[in-house]
Amino acid sequence: MRILIVEDEPDLLRSLAQALREEGYAVDTANDGEDGLFKAEGYDYDAIVLDIMLPKLDGWELLKRLRETKKTPVLMLTARDQTRDRVKGLDTGADDYVVKPFDLPELFARLRALIRRSANKTTNVIEIGDVKIDTAARNVLLKEKPVELTAREYALVEFLALHRGEVVTRTQLYEHLFDENDSTLSNLLDVHVSNIRKKLGAEFITTRRGHGYCIEG
Amino acid sequence: MKIFKSIRWRLQIWYGLILVVVLAGFGFTAHQLERGRQLKDIDDELQHRIGVVATALWPSPPHEPNFAGQSFESPPPDRPKFDPSPGNDARRRPPQMPVKFQLPPRQAGFFDESDTNGFYYVVWNSDGKELARSTNAPAELPALSRALSSGPPSPQMRGVRREIFIIFPRGETILVGRSIAPELKELRLAALRLAAVGAGILLLGLAGGWWLAARAIRPIDDISATAVKISAGDLSQRINVAEAESELGQLAVVLNSTFARLEAAFAQQQQFTFDAAHELRTPVTVMLTQTQATLNRERSATEYRETVEACKRAAQRMRRLTESLLELARLDAGQEPLKRLKFDLSQTVRDCVELIRPLADERGVKIHCDLPAVDGHGDEERLAQVITNLLANAVQYNKANGEVRISTKLQGSMILLAVSDTGPGISSEDLPHVFERFYRADQSRSSGQTGLGLAISKAIVEAHGGTIEVSSKSGAGTTFTVVLPML
Repeated sequence: MRILIVEDEPDLLRSLAQALREEGYAVDTANDGEDGLFKAEGYDYDAIVLDIMLPKLDGWELLKRLRETKKTPVLMLTARDQTRDRVKGLDTGADDYVVKPFDLPELFARLRALIRRSANKTTNVIEIGDVKIDTAARNVLLKEKPVELTAREYALVEFLALHRGEVVTRTQLYEHLFDENDSTLSNLLDVHVSNIRKKLGAEFITTRRGHGYCIEG
Repeated sequence: MKIFKSIRWRLQIWYGLILVVVLAGFGFTAHQLERGRQLKDIDDELQHRIGVVATALWPSPPHEPNFAGQSFESPPPDRPKFDPSPGNDARRRPPQMPVKFQLPPRQAGFFDESDTNGFYYVVWNSDGKELARSTNAPAELPALSRALSSGPPSPQMRGVRREIFIIFPRGETILVGRSIAPELKELRLAALRLAAVGAGILLLGLAGGWWLAARAIRPIDDISATAVKISAGDLSQRINVAEAESELGQLAVVLNSTFARLEAAFAQQQQFTFDAAHELRTPVTVMLTQTQATLNRERSATEYRETVEACKRAAQRMRRLTESLLELARLDAGQEPLKRLKFDLSQTVRDCVELIRPLADERGVKIHCDLPAVDGHGDEERLAQVITNLLANAVQYNKANGEVRISTKLQGSMILLAVSDTGPGISSEDLPHVFERFYRADQSRSSGQTGLGLAISKAIVEAHGGTIEVSSKSGAGTTFTVVLPML
């Protein structure tokens, strides 16, 4: 899952990015509205965390312009908590709203819910044959037994599971699993896929030559 | 009693009282005048008739030959005159009273016994024996005495009878009288009619007064109703100013403008509190996020150090903010009176410039000073704070390798201090708001500024009785001008 954070307070931006990376997300950052809009329009992020008070271009304007081209789920982050601000945010096209100061676990939960909804899933648990993926606890069970996956491996499984039945291209996977700071090695994906197959069974992920990967429905 | 506290009731009561007094006075006077007029008519008749009787008694009075020839319409009030002085006694003495006396028929007509004009007469001789009387004279008449007729004879009331009598020096007495019971009855009726009319007028007047009072009070009711709504918290209420030219209309206009100012001040205060809370939230968020993220797992010493440093920065920011807020609150409240001392302003400015120079050097900004020896008046420390803040802004919002100019000069009785920069300038949209609390042209918080610096500067300058103004051209820099009065 790849997330964009647009926030002008440097300490907050840094710690949020770090915390989300530790949660297994690929995280891009922008510290003003213009940069944020540029990045948000350039990639299909799984979610955007957007502050309202931003230099150059404020959060409202960024959201309005982004909505002209993209449906990326947006979580507004702001110190303004009056009802009219929340209404304005949601009406402008925000998908959720978190008021500063917030607790990180709540922010994470709301992000998970946003991503889940945008993938048209209603629960945190996805079952595929013998494999059960809990996106809230971020763990995977095979025949009710926990399987040890690295953060990146888990992210790959979750992304494919959320797009179950679809063929996901390698480019898509790169875009959603690696952020702007990762040096992408062309064979890194294959390594992760082969590791997952070892742990969850060879049939779990199908390779479509020339197209990408798929978890059959 | 609530009723006596109501202006409307008090107006009504006073109005009613005044109306009652006026009506009663008018009615009483009218009644008295009418009674007087009627009595006078009767009295004239009595005077006339007593003359008739006296003339009949002594057909040619020796000393008053024209007694009977007097016009009956206007008999002299003192006739016939009783003069007890002994010198005149002999000369004026009338002839001996006849033993038998009969009023001649022509004169008797004045006492038309059969008729109801009601005049009667009685004549007594000196022994008190009745010589003659008209048939309609009351059977019993109270005794007359000289004591009753001291001075010239004049009509008197005896019971319901109006009577006039003359006691001659030798004791002969003539009495003429008339019952005025019909007149009194008529007067009573007239009085009743007057009272009824008066009561009617009073009722009409009271009703009119009530209506007038209601009309006069209605704007007050409007005002108080609006004031009640406002005190209940709805500050947007205004009094309907329909009759602005009346005194109450003017009051309503004044009150409305007061309410408007109150609402504006309230909104400003609310916005300020809201902004202050808002500003505090960002550093709190930083601290919360930093600590929660860090505590999620074991970290290296370096990572812990980074977190602690971020928390320190957030705490410092909160300290700056709370200090600024406190300072603004103190300036607003007018606490901590400013010192009013004379000081060397050019030296103070130089000190401030030295304070800012490291920041300026870091950005390659040159500071030019034009500082003739000028004395400042007021609180040196506070004014230095203003100068430092203006200089810091000029350096911070300047372009790289730009310039800052600071100058002081005397102009009349004012001290002018100007700080200008060569930065990008402030847009005309933002320019009117730069002195507002928490106003930031770019909405960014990353600069670490509280957004209160210019607001505090303005408060300090205004506490000195001065003004601070800004002018800016996009791309051509910004100039802040402080004007301070000399003491």
